[in-house]
Amino acid sequence: MELLISTMMQGFIYALLSYGVYITYKILDFPDLTVDGSFPLGAAVTAYFMVNGMNPYLTLPLALLAGAVAGLATGLIHVKLGVRDLLAGIITMTALFSINLQVADSNLAIERSIDTIFTAAPTAVLGDLSLTYKKFIISLILALVCKLILDWYLQTKSGLLLRATGDNDTLVTSLAKNKGSVKILGLVIANALAALAGCIVCQEQRAFTSTMGTGQVVFGLATVIIGTTLFRRLSFVKATTAVFFGSILYKICIQLAISMGLPANLLKLAMAVLFLLVLAAGSWKGGAKKHA
Amino acid sequence: MKKFFAVSLAAVMTGALLAGCGSSGSSEIPVIGISQYAQHESLDNCREGFLQGLAESGLVEGEDFVVEYQNAGADDNLNVQIAQSFSAKNVALMCAIATPAATACYAAAEDKDIPVIFTAVTDPVEAKLDSGNITGTSDKLPIAAQLELIRMLQPEAKTIGIIYTSSEPNSVSAIKEYEALAGEYGFTIESVGVTQQSEVVQAADTLIAKNVDCFSNLTDNNVVDVLLSVLEKTNEAGIPVYGSEIEQVKKGCVASAGIEYVSLGVKTGQMAAKILLGEASAADMPYETITEYETYVNADAMAEFGMTLPDEVAAGAIDVSAEAAQ
Repeated sequence: MELLISTMMQGFIYALLSYGVYITYKILDFPDLTVDGSFPLGAAVTAYFMVNGMNPYLTLPLALLAGAVAGLATGLIHVKLGVRDLLAGIITMTALFSINLQVADSNLAIERSIDTIFTAAPTAVLGDLSLTYKKFIISLILALVCKLILDWYLQTKSGLLLRATGDNDTLVTSLAKNKGSVKILGLVIANALAALAGCIVCQEQRAFTSTMGTGQVVFGLATVIIGTTLFRRLSFVKATTAVFFGSILYKICIQLAISMGLPANLLKLAMAVLFLLVLAAGSWKGGAKKHA
Repeated sequence: MKKFFAVSLAAVMTGALLAGCGSSGSSEIPVIGISQYAQHESLDNCREGFLQGLAESGLVEGEDFVVEYQNAGADDNLNVQIAQSFSAKNVALMCAIATPAATACYAAAEDKDIPVIFTAVTDPVEAKLDSGNITGTSDKLPIAAQLELIRMLQPEAKTIGIIYTSSEPNSVSAIKEYEALAGEYGFTIESVGVTQQSEVVQAADTLIAKNVDCFSNLTDNNVVDVLLSVLEKTNEAGIPVYGSEIEQVKKGCVASAGIEYVSLGVKTGQMAAKILLGEASAADMPYETITEYETYVNADAMAEFGMTLPDEVAAGAIDVSAEAAQ
């Protein structure tokens, strides 16, 4: 049971990153590689300020801000300098690797004497729950709050424009709106969310490592695709909800692969097979119909 | 149909996870969870040594303990989930091989009483692994001994070239120590930092162009993984390369004053045995740094550079050219 709890907790935290990738990849149709840099940026900023005595809750807005700046950089490079989307992300991601090293060196550990959002005084309201359960509840709250804010935002005028830009950007232009600024806004939100995920992972792990961003884009894409494929037919399920479950499912797949006790070298193969199973389960009937 | 399939798959997966925790909780024999960060010869040696150390302390696998071994394949996400699965299963002891594994295990055991024992961690203080229910062994390089060895083998040498990964904490701290000590032995250090494996060979070209007298390696994973292609370049340029441990000398480095990872693992295993037997607790045992080191030479590689082994070095050196991989 505890294993399921801690695995789901991972899924909640990483769901924030998945929301971000959902905005760029699904809504804007923008393959944004900045995430591999903005995720550890959030962690680096968090580790640096926490070691220097900052309140753990204050690092949340700070990480959001840092990620937003990273997204802004990619957006400006793409929109103002006309660099292709993929390359714009690569440029920012590459630069961020060095910036992260400048902020927090190659790794930075947060001592146990320093309180994180999971151990600070306000968590006392949760009673004597063990840390695993506290982490579970706090990360669930964070993931749900971000989801609700995002859902609300996507219904606003600005949010609708964002969705229109990905679907049909001529429409946006015809509404006398600048599709470039809308794209930049999307990248800002997406990377702010990725950095927030980095911030929470850093507090949960009590460490920043410069390599922690590697593979996060791939993770984000996988969760978005798993989530949206599985819930494709259930139109009442919001995309953010689907992505939320995609993230949890991904983490469960990894944990299952670990728990199978296969030789270490086969672990990734097992993960690949599990993902394939999940995707096949999601599109089984759809595929058959097409052929009929 | 699809929904049914999806739901039942989810149910089966959840069930499997739940079953996973149930089964290990009920077993009487203590479980040691070994989390190794990557597939790597030195780290494999650590693990083998660790099991040997347990055996030497009289513990029998299958009777006194069982091992759950996991390897993250250098994947940080996997590394964290492995540590959390050990914590959720309430293993009797976690053995973490390499710094990232140790950090993750220590974090996963935060409010539990699971002892963590690490090995192949260069700087436990820097990584904040020096207090709490945790102990282990450090694989800090004997850099002074290495400099002395180079001085004896190449009395004329002035500059030593070193390639390191700027994001590997072990490498960064080793470079600092090299720079601090080099002067005492009459060397200057030319270091080139890389960020990823593909840049290592370019860095080797840079150092060769700077006419360094020799290369010295760290335990830097990016460099060690492509050591053979670095050696190809340096052999062509006639520059000898010194390794940092036995496996590198087997691959064609001329010599090394290095620690031997099997013994490091054995020491770690013995510490773990004390914890399992209740003779000591991880919180009370300070971490240990191996102080004795061996001198490894590769006579074949030395001959290629026309180098001879001074008698005072030869006396204590171990020639590994017979075991060389090529």
